[in-house]
Amino acid sequence: MNDDPARRLYLDALTEAAEVPRTSLRPLLFTAARARRRPAVAASGWTAPYAGRIAAMDALLAEVDEDDWHKETVEGWTLQELLAHLAAKDGLVALAVGAPVLGPPVTVDEALARTAQLQEYERRREPGQTRRDWRAQADALCRHLAALPPDTPADVSGFPMAAADHLLGRALETWLHTADAAGVVGIAVPDPVPEHIAPTADLCVRVMPVTMRVSGHAVPEGRAVRLVLTGPGGGRWHVPLHPGGRAVREDGAAGGTGLDGASAGGIGTDGASADATITCDVVEFCFLVGGRGEPATFAAEVEGDSALARDLLHAAPALSGP
Amino acid sequence: MEAPVADDRLLHQRVVGGEETALGEVYDRFAPLVFGLAVRITRDRMISEDITQEVFVAFWERPLAFDPARGTLRAWLATIAHRRAVDHVRAQERRKASVLGPRLLEPEPERLEDQVLSRQEADGVRLAVGKLPDHLREVIELAYYRGRTYRQVADELGLPEGTAKSRIRLGLRRLADALAEEGT
Repeated sequence: MNDDPARRLYLDALTEAAEVPRTSLRPLLFTAARARRRPAVAASGWTAPYAGRIAAMDALLAEVDEDDWHKETVEGWTLQELLAHLAAKDGLVALAVGAPVLGPPVTVDEALARTAQLQEYERRREPGQTRRDWRAQADALCRHLAALPPDTPADVSGFPMAAADHLLGRALETWLHTADAAGVVGIAVPDPVPEHIAPTADLCVRVMPVTMRVSGHAVPEGRAVRLVLTGPGGGRWHVPLHPGGRAVREDGAAGGTGLDGASAGGIGTDGASADATITCDVVEFCFLVGGRGEPATFAAEVEGDSALARDLLHAAPALSGP
Repeated sequence: MEAPVADDRLLHQRVVGGEETALGEVYDRFAPLVFGLAVRITRDRMISEDITQEVFVAFWERPLAFDPARGTLRAWLATIAHRRAVDHVRAQERRKASVLGPRLLEPEPERLEDQVLSRQEADGVRLAVGKLPDHLREVIELAYYRGRTYRQVADELGLPEGTAKSRIRLGLRRLADALAEEGT
């Protein structure tokens, strides 16, 4: 629609002859904007990637109509049930860190059981109410966490990790399910900004030794891959794959959540030996780890030990669940 | 004249992610265009301020209604501004008409096209370009109708790039004046 020269010329001429209102409308603009759509709870800091995905999902929900709420998304869930699932898992993180938990009291601290419980509860309500409570749960969790250090330990459903990593996991899952829902309702949702993709990708890379282990690959110490994730928010990592191996960013960018002081500088690891180098798109890699890719046909360039690279790509989705 | 598509995408990503400062940046960049467009159509600065605010709030409230794959943010905001300004003018006309008494025949409402430029306006733009002085017309024609960059325009006419650039901007201002005189 911008190819028409007359149209472009018209807009450019108007831009040259632009006029400015006598007084700035800026302060009023923000007041009016906030009243119509809530901003992300955090625009900076370690909770921002999660807050951004919540705002993006909410923007998608602003576009859906009555019928869309009852369309099937993933796992046989309607959009309303999918949202209840997200709220259930956000609530379990909230429970672990002492933030408010919305909905019926948690009786079982397990993701699918809690999902079923909250879905049952939400099915009796209007989709709009489900949306409001999902957003309120996410915002309450985010506000609570923003006041805590990112390395605050949190045991979510028997899975102990730093709070920051749990929240990045929530950011990734919200991103994936937003993409699921966007596909169902036929609306394009843009990717997160590069600064939000980077720590999410960093988490995805750091879980590689775990996905290898749970997939039954007993990798001896000393075996490692170099992961080169391309595109905005990407980077280069050296990833030892033995159980407990710690991935390190090699390109000097502050990738993670600031949890891993050593990884920020990538000290002395540049050029560390790797058995294989795997190069692929950063967003596709995050989606693969999130169970939204096909390992066998995944678009990646591999140099070196191709069997090891194949094992890694096949194991990558091992932690993904509904 | 070049469309900053990469900027559009990043601003859009930030607004979708609920970042208020991105809305501020969108406003700072495009408010003069939106306000100028509204003033040109409504000839009312107060109403145009309302329309301007409404355009940016609408973008904030439903950022996914804009798809950067389908056009620039500038054109999108201009389209909403144009639509709201024209709606306002029509509502005014209806109000005036009803004061004058009932009509025997209600005129067919004109179909509002989903674009900034009507056929008539596009013709107006072409006509106004034709009336520009030669040295301005040739740079505008090369830049817009032949898709040349500033650099290429300068090379083809044997001008310093700065001169080509300032002639294009002068030509655009003259065009805007001509279009304003002509009315909407």
